Amino acid sequence: MSSHDHGHAIGGDHVPHVLPYAAYFATWGALMFFTIITVGASYVNFGPANLLIAVVIATLKATIVAAIFMHLWFDHRMHSMILGSAGLFLAIFIAFTMFDTESRGHLESITGERPADMSNPFLGGSARQKAMNALYPVGSNSVKLSAPGIVPGVFDVPAAPSASAAPEASATVSPEASASASASASVAASGSTSASVSGSVSAAPSASAPPKH
Amino acid sequence: MSASANDEKLSPDFHVAHHFDTADQQFDSARMGIWLFLVTEILFFGGLFCAFFIYRSWYFSSFVEAHHHLDKVMGAVNTCVLIFSSLTMALAVRSAQVNDKAKTVGFLIVTILCAFGFLVVKYFEYQHKIHDGLLPGVHFTAQGFSSPHPGTFFAVYFMMTGIHGLHVIIGIGLILWILLRAQRGDFSARYYAPVEGVGLYWHLVDLVWIYLFPLLYLVG
Repeated sequence: MSSHDHGHAIGGDHVPHVLPYAAYFATWGALMFFTIITVGASYVNFGPANLLIAVVIATLKATIVAAIFMHLWFDHRMHSMILGSAGLFLAIFIAFTMFDTESRGHLESITGERPADMSNPFLGGSARQKAMNALYPVGSNSVKLSAPGIVPGVFDVPAAPSASAAPEASATVSPEASASASASASVAASGSTSASVSGSVSAAPSASAPPKH
Repeated sequence: MSASANDEKLSPDFHVAHHFDTADQQFDSARMGIWLFLVTEILFFGGLFCAFFIYRSWYFSSFVEAHHHLDKVMGAVNTCVLIFSSLTMALAVRSAQVNDKAKTVGFLIVTILCAFGFLVVKYFEYQHKIHDGLLPGVHFTAQGFSSPHPGTFFAVYFMMTGIHGLHVIIGIGLILWILLRAQRGDFSARYYAPVEGVGLYWHLVDLVWIYLFPLLYLVG
């Protein structure tokens, strides 16, 4: 029987797509071949690639089963898309779950070193954040109003501590302050009193020395 | 191979339901329904695979140590049994497509025998694990592991292979059902959607094992 002379007439019977026996036995042979390969590979230690090799071979076998035994190769593309979307969402499910489980405990070392004071969450960050806290005390309405948009960079990542940071921090704040003190410079430019700024900047934090609360 | 001359006698009870335009449309709808069901099965097993990957990552040394307690040979034999049963299932569908009732029934019987063979091997494996005290949770009584979480591996192992085994048992029931219907002469080239659907389900059971075997028995 020729495989492709389908007579799918309106109102007619369904005409099956019959594959030759050879297709089924060849598929079975390929599956057995890859089973031997994957068992054989398990006796060789490829280190971290072991899992990858096993999953790749299994996916190859699964593709063969789906294409021939499950007729997807000769079927409507919609059915392949249904199976493919299941694989896609399974991958998203596993990957995004493991983004979580694989990164647990990383944050604790950072928060342990520099714990956040939730009554004053902006305290303990960069010099600019310290300055901001001095300018706008907790509870001050202006904090909310001026927060991210009006004063740029309030939520900046704390600047890395450098050897030159200490003398600059203790010095009086001026517009000529160098990069590590540029935070206070922008605060000063926004119309603050330099006294309060320098007072806070002198307590410039560093990643290795947690601020005292 | 060739359809018999008196096509009118084939699948005498079959008709195209009034809400379908053609027999093709009816057949395709049934098949798409099965595919959508298989998606739910994949995502259902996916949760267990996700658990496997997470715990394997967390307790890698335990997984490597514990997986050596599984019998690679028995796992490989069962893999061959399931792959062969997939072949006979596919051939049963093919036989139904060409109106060969005797072969359809014969291939379905072989498929069921393979499924029972799989469960027998699984029984001996479980018996051995239970004897060694490797059951999950508080029933894990085995001693002498050098890594701290061997029980987690066996909990994942029993859950995944157990639910897979349940699917094999359900598959036996489904194949038995279409076997009896095939015996009755329900199926032909005109109408074999239930054979195709059960076949797709059975291939998925095989697919899940294709992943389970290397992940549990070979890689750990």
